[in-house]
Amino acid sequence: MSAALKDMIRNPTVAELELVARYAALKADPRRERLFEAFAQTGLPHRRHEEWRWSDFKAAVTALDTPATPPAADPLATEGVATLKFTPQGYTAPASLPPGLRLLAKEEVQAMSGAEDAPLGALAAALSGAKNSPATLLAEVTGEAPVRLHMVFSGPGAINAARVVFLLRPGARLEVSESHLGGAALSTALVEYTLQERAKLSRIVYQRGGKTEAQAITALIHQDAGAETKQTVLAFGAKVARIETRLVHQETGSHATLNAAYLAGDGYHIDFTSHVRHGARACTTRQVTKGAVLDGGRGVFQGKFHVPRNAGQQTDASMQHNALLLEEGAEVFAKPELEILADDVQCAHGNTSGALDQNQLFYLRQRGIPLEKARALLTEAFIAEALEQAGPHEDALRAEASQWLAI
Amino acid sequence: MLKIQNLSATVGEGEAAKTIINGLSLEVPAGEVHAIMGPNGAGKSTLSYVLTGRDGYAVTGGAATLDGQDILAMEPEARATAGLFLSFQYPVEIPGVPVMTFVRTAMNAQRKARGEPEISAPDYLKKSREVAKMLNLDADMLKRPVNVGFSGGEKKRLEIYQMLMLEPRFMVLDETDSGLDIDALRTVAEGVNALRAPERGMLVITHYQRLLDHIKPDKVHVLAKGRIIKTGGPELALRLEKEGYDGVLAEAV
Ligand SMILES: Nc1ncnc2c1ncn2[C@@H]1O[C@H](COP(=O)(O)OP(=O)(O)OP(=O)(O)O)[C@@H](O)[C@H]1O
Ligand SMILES: [Mg+2]
Repeated sequence: MSAALKDMIRNPTVAELELVARYAALKADPRRERLFEAFAQTGLPHRRHEEWRWSDFKAAVTALDTPATPPAADPLATEGVATLKFTPQGYTAPASLPPGLRLLAKEEVQAMSGAEDAPLGALAAALSGAKNSPATLLAEVTGEAPVRLHMVFSGPGAINAARVVFLLRPGARLEVSESHLGGAALSTALVEYTLQERAKLSRIVYQRGGKTEAQAITALIHQDAGAETKQTVLAFGAKVARIETRLVHQETGSHATLNAAYLAGDGYHIDFTSHVRHGARACTTRQVTKGAVLDGGRGVFQGKFHVPRNAGQQTDASMQHNALLLEEGAEVFAKPELEILADDVQCAHGNTSGALDQNQLFYLRQRGIPLEKARALLTEAFIAEALEQAGPHEDALRAEASQWLAI
Repeated sequence: MLKIQNLSATVGEGEAAKTIINGLSLEVPAGEVHAIMGPNGAGKSTLSYVLTGRDGYAVTGGAATLDGQDILAMEPEARATAGLFLSFQYPVEIPGVPVMTFVRTAMNAQRKARGEPEISAPDYLKKSREVAKMLNLDADMLKRPVNVGFSGGEKKRLEIYQMLMLEPRFMVLDETDSGLDIDALRTVAEGVNALRAPERGMLVITHYQRLLDHIKPDKVHVLAKGRIIKTGGPELALRLEKEGYDGVLAEAV
């Protein structure tokens, strides 16, 4: 490796050197170079980066070996729904796609907006295009009929880096589910959604990784006038997992619902980070995040609404994060941030974390429900609100959650 | 059936521990209904919580047995499975858990603990419909989350609904009459009376004679300052209604 390459990241770890080597082995491309530089500015993000202070990837990713645990099972797979698969060995798509969906596998890397703000997203973009996968996978959705699509990101392997760029044409509707099942030492996926006028996106995300893996899922969403996104995430974490959504309302009257539930067991870490920019008049955002954490588990919530002075008038936005600390030793870190510079806005936020209500527990036990079962029932009810907009996937997500709670 | 002997209990921890039940003795034989009356703050609800095993109370002396079984040593759910039921003075709201789910889970948990088979969904629904009809309960209420947004009277009726569904052997009713309108009082009392049986017992905590017009007690106890200071027949309740507590409190000294 040349000295210039080695110097791209300051004081690189073994894992970071491996990432540099992987980058160097790919076809040279000026956009790829820019993206990798955006990543290299931070390297694997760590606790001294303000936005990553609770989620230290540098410390977590010690070696890029194939982990011992296989990828998790996929609860979102649905018969008859086209499935795209992204693995360390390459990308596969079905021979026939639903009408209204066109895939374009590009040899060139496409530029990414805000790469500096999302280093692991930039890494995914810079490393995609290894053998058997396109440098950029473009997906165009047209027509009025809803297009259903499922995407699976899973190992086994050392690194699983993937990028998909969706373009929803005016009035188009996409119902997409993403299963991020781990199985690689480092999985990083970048999914971009551009919603043109009145386009509608329903996005369901299921994340489950192993205790020795690091996982990053970065979504960039841009919405034009009257566009609407409904997102529901269920996450179980990994050694460190970051689920980041960066959404921009860029034209009037666009709507977003960003819901998420996380369940963190012993040894699991889940970080929800979202950044919503109300860059146009009269846009709405509804965000509900619910979490439950056991002893040795860790939940992180960082939510930010940014409402600029002129553009953001008549913003209507609410952010709610509620965490249950199910056992002593459970950890939750939350940083809700409202940066409101406009004056004619409605913004609300709520943030709580605490134990289960003793009165409720006793009431259930007095009726004969054993303590463990009572806890599970109350926790399931607690997170239910975050899953209730998952449409046809609500039952599958709830079943996964209750199975976890029954352990 | 229920035997409480010289029971003492405190609430609060360490330095702040406060004796609320103070050498209380009481016996309800199978087949009988006893009423407990007493001034506000006498310890009536505390007694019901100590018997059912709520956290935050420490038994400092005495014993309580149900059919000879030491209930004070058992977990709350085991006491419930043994047949002990409390109709709460202040029923608890459980957001997100529909009544159906809650009661069926409770029923099956008790059955499982007793080694009985679970109740099937159709059997449950059939029974639920019968009970709801008897109590004049709207079927829609049973689809809503437990007690959330229920009126005071609806909450009390839901307690009795649960009681009729679970068919406990020993029932403690803590001010079930408060908050009920005149008609609801009658239907609830009918529900309670439907459970009267030679093998069952009941402890009815109330401030008013009117409930006892419908649920006729075999005995009436006056609880004050953490112990039973007087026991009599149904006429004792009538006397209290007329005279208030001053008389009996003075006699007890
Ligand atoms: N957690 C607690 N901490 C301190 N004091 C308590 C606590 N719980 C109950 N007490 C006190 O114990 C006493 C008895 O309360 P309890 O609720 O048993 O009364 P009660 O007889 O049911 O009254 P009421 O007729 O008003 O329902 C009261 O003085 C009450 O303030
Ligand atoms: Mg009371």
